[in-house]
Amino acid sequence: MKKLTVLSAAIALSLSVSAQAAEELRLLTWGGYAPQEVVDLFEQETGIKVKVTKSNNEEMISKLKATRGAGFDLAQPSQDRITSAQKAHNIYKPLDLSKIDSSQFIQSMLAATKDQSTLGGDVYAVPHVWGSSGLIVNKADAADIQDYTDLCKPAYAGKVTYRLKRPTLIGFAFAMGEDPFAAYADKDKYQQIMEKVGQKLTDCKANVKAYWSGGDAMLNLMRSGETTAAMAWDAGGWKLNKDNADINFVAPKSGALGWIDTFVLPRKTKNEEAAYKWINFVMQPNIAAMITESAGNFTASKGSDAYVDAKLKAQYQASFSPADIDNIKWYPPVPAGLEKIEGKILDRVKAY
Amino acid sequence: MLVSSSTASGSRSRIKLGMWLLLAPLCLWLLLLIILPHIELLSFSLSDPDEGGLTLSFYGEFFNEPLYWRTFLRTAIMSILATALTLVIAFPVAFFIAKMIKGRSKGILFAMCLIPFWVSELVRTFGWMILLRESGVISSGLQWLGLADSGVELLYTDATIMLGLVYSAMLFMVVPLVSTLDSLDDSYIEAGYDLGGNNWNIMREIIIPHATPGIVSGCIIVFMLSLGNYLTPVLLGGKDSLWFTEQIYTQFITRFNWEQGSAFGILLLLLSSLIVWLGLKVTGQSFTKTMG
Amino acid sequence: MQTDAIDLACENICKHFSEFTAVDNVSFTIPQGSFFSILGPSGCGKTTLLRMLAGFESPTSGDILIKNKSVLDVPPNKRPINMVFQHLALFPTMNIEQNIGYGLRRQGVAKAEIAERVAAVLKRVGLPDSGKKRVDQLSGGQRQRIALARCLVLNPTLLLLDEPLGALDLKLREQMKIELKQLQKEFGTTFVYITHDQSEALVMSDQIAVMNQGKFEQVGTPHELYYQPKTAFVASFVGDTNRWSGVVKSSVNQEDHQTQYQVTTNDGLTLDCVSQSSDIPVSSNVDVFVRPEAITVSLSAMDNCLENQLECQVENILFDGAKSQIIAIDKQSGGCITAAMPQTADFMGLKAGDAVYLSFSAKQALSFSEKQGEMNASL
Ligand SMILES: Nc1ncnc2c1ncn2[C@@H]1O[C@H](COP(=O)(O)OP(=O)(O)OP(=O)(O)O)[C@@H](O)[C@H]1O
Ligand SMILES: [Mg+2]
Repeated sequence: MKKLTVLSAAIALSLSVSAQAAEELRLLTWGGYAPQEVVDLFEQETGIKVKVTKSNNEEMISKLKATRGAGFDLAQPSQDRITSAQKAHNIYKPLDLSKIDSSQFIQSMLAATKDQSTLGGDVYAVPHVWGSSGLIVNKADAADIQDYTDLCKPAYAGKVTYRLKRPTLIGFAFAMGEDPFAAYADKDKYQQIMEKVGQKLTDCKANVKAYWSGGDAMLNLMRSGETTAAMAWDAGGWKLNKDNADINFVAPKSGALGWIDTFVLPRKTKNEEAAYKWINFVMQPNIAAMITESAGNFTASKGSDAYVDAKLKAQYQASFSPADIDNIKWYPPVPAGLEKIEGKILDRVKAY
Repeated sequence: MLVSSSTASGSRSRIKLGMWLLLAPLCLWLLLLIILPHIELLSFSLSDPDEGGLTLSFYGEFFNEPLYWRTFLRTAIMSILATALTLVIAFPVAFFIAKMIKGRSKGILFAMCLIPFWVSELVRTFGWMILLRESGVISSGLQWLGLADSGVELLYTDATIMLGLVYSAMLFMVVPLVSTLDSLDDSYIEAGYDLGGNNWNIMREIIIPHATPGIVSGCIIVFMLSLGNYLTPVLLGGKDSLWFTEQIYTQFITRFNWEQGSAFGILLLLLSSLIVWLGLKVTGQSFTKTMG
Repeated sequence: MQTDAIDLACENICKHFSEFTAVDNVSFTIPQGSFFSILGPSGCGKTTLLRMLAGFESPTSGDILIKNKSVLDVPPNKRPINMVFQHLALFPTMNIEQNIGYGLRRQGVAKAEIAERVAAVLKRVGLPDSGKKRVDQLSGGQRQRIALARCLVLNPTLLLLDEPLGALDLKLREQMKIELKQLQKEFGTTFVYITHDQSEALVMSDQIAVMNQGKFEQVGTPHELYYQPKTAFVASFVGDTNRWSGVVKSSVNQEDHQTQYQVTTNDGLTLDCVSQSSDIPVSSNVDVFVRPEAITVSLSAMDNCLENQLECQVENILFDGAKSQIIAIDKQSGGCITAAMPQTADFMGLKAGDAVYLSFSAKQALSFSEKQGEMNASL
């Protein structure tokens, strides 16, 4: 009899151990946002394993749409992709803000994100990493490129690269004197702006060496000197700057496009507790600095600047004057249906 | 009599049952992995997301928007071209392997055709990029030899896509060709010479007719592979190179327009089958003859 | 029909495959319109020789002349020679008409004439209505005839046939033997026919070359080969035969220029025999060959004039109608002897265990010195 209880206790113990060992956090995020060292530290502290899946905005939403919000415990789409995707596909779950240590956040940023991701009274997102897209310029060859439209100057024929994605459309629209964000609510107006931008991009085609699609391809093009200017993310520019002082990120005259990548809960998250633990863990200033180091972008963690490498801070200051920072155009939430308009324009640019 | 016939039918039904048991995994596989997804695609492509109910508007979109059908046409023509090119290159290779060499070197040469498939398609494509880019191996080689004074860009053109397609499809042409050519007894070729034939008409009247099943099945495989290729045209292609699969990917992933993507998927299936069917008709082949 | 014109002459042809000698110094001539067979065991080099004639292999040394002109530099598609392949090689992708017309098309013959000539040749081989059929719709024998027709329609100087009947069943083979000979006579084309089946060669040929290990052992008419074999190999390969190995005890010159020898066989018999060569020394080793049909069978001892008489016991009777044979055990040596079964009433009741006397004349017992015998040790 005694034996039996010992046995059952052993089984129970082993079961609980295995249950604990199986605890894991399935994170759907961007490259660089969950560096191995941070994952290791997190596991040391909490015993939770983190399974990282690297992705981008569109794929994140598509994946969650395909599974109706299952398969991951925590995701990191950009701030402008939350309310619209939630309205259209119902793939997220509201956050329980009481489980998040809000004192670790830069308050203005936290407030802005909460505000933009509120739907039906529920808050869906808190900010994590922020950055901008603008221009990466090799000053040795193309010192006079200051705005997106400068990429189309005849002098740079065949020496330019950008993506055929929506940021390019938006950036060019601003550079052409339009305000696409203001036209978000007015589909016809937006269509009109996009047609104009599409024409510009078609005319500009001779200047493009290749449309880049992966960040590495863009870095290679710039590093090898095959192109002298690109439209890309700030972090890419700073990365290149480390190897070649001539290349750096330039905030365009019409304004860099600012984005904030957030934390959201997929609707069918299985391990909500672990998700909150991860958020609170990575927002600690010293951990956030590690992420800044690996992603190349700054975070919404208060005080993490103090831990960040001086070189990156210097690069950041070289790219952004205080006026440039004020001039950043932050992406507002995208209303549904814009992707269709943009998509057709982009297809046409590529086809003709 | 009665007894024996009843046992006979009993054993027959047992055999039938056994056959069904054997076929069950195959049927299940067909159902789960081929038929069901396509039914799902079909139902997506026909459903109206805004109002519910059925709609053909997503198919209409394909025909009304020149961009889409032109992209398909371009993809199809490039694929046909790639198929023809692959055939032209693979045939001598296959002939050499099957007829000109004997013994061990045959196996070695055949294995060499397999080497490109030891690495993934992505790595293979990146390999091409490293070779062909302006700052790449071939360009610097040319400069070093003094044949070019500045970098030569060999990437981002339709020719590069063609190169990538032909390269990755080669094996799928060589294998069926080698196996049909292998089955051609040398005595047929010798009989051709003996009766006064020269190289050209022996090739045309004896070897090619014999190899036709291999040529046709190789062409079908290569055409379908090229048409369905995604990475090669996207990574190696130029500014103007829109590929139909890229279109499908975009519809699904960046536009969240699953209905349109499904319609394109079904159209790709139907139109490519149509092209294959036309090809078979034009060359006077039948599918069963080729596969049988 | 036969004239003195020579269609084909081979002079000292050799073929080496690296170390291996497949054809060894072969010379022969074939007169126009004759049926010439090359008979030999498997692997003796028949196909190799034929392929050299057709032009698919070139001889290591020697010369091939067609109508007195060397053809060594002429490629196969230009030689006035056609070949019926071992497995016929009818093109499966073409119908019968197209198969037969292939060679004519290569010669640039006009379409109408092709159709005419194809129809004519089909009629001559007895298949007038099969022009539109596919190859696989014909029987083995019909295919055989189509393969012949495909060559004959080109009026070749020389037609080479590589064991064309090998794939057919026995009955059909018997029938095709006669048909082939018939066709050859009708067309008047010179045939070079390869076979390892001696009966095919004997029935059809005007001349037979017996080939062994790359060499020609003997060239002659079927009659010569059968009755006057020049070597032990020919004696044993052409036709059935009994064979004893022994030692020469004595020799006597006969009045008809033949030498008669007395031989003691290894199993202890004493046989009187003759040889083509007169200089086999006493006590040298010889092989003695006696054909079954040369043996006289009697139920009681005969005191007739035949030099050799053996008392035997019937071991077995192989019944094959007119070709039935008696297998008998020689009482003295215990050796086995095969004799043809006489087709007379006396022997109807013969059964195993009966006593018989087998006798044959010295002239029917051919002896060859062992030197020649060595060659067929492998047989
Ligand atoms: N290409 C070759 N390389 C090396 N040896 C060869 C080659 N072709 C034939 N031989 C050899 O030459 C010899 C004669 O071959 P061949 O084909 O002429 O025989 P064959 O008399 O036609 O026999 P069979 O009656 O079996 O057809 C064989 O021992 C064969 O192994
Ligand atoms: Mg042979």
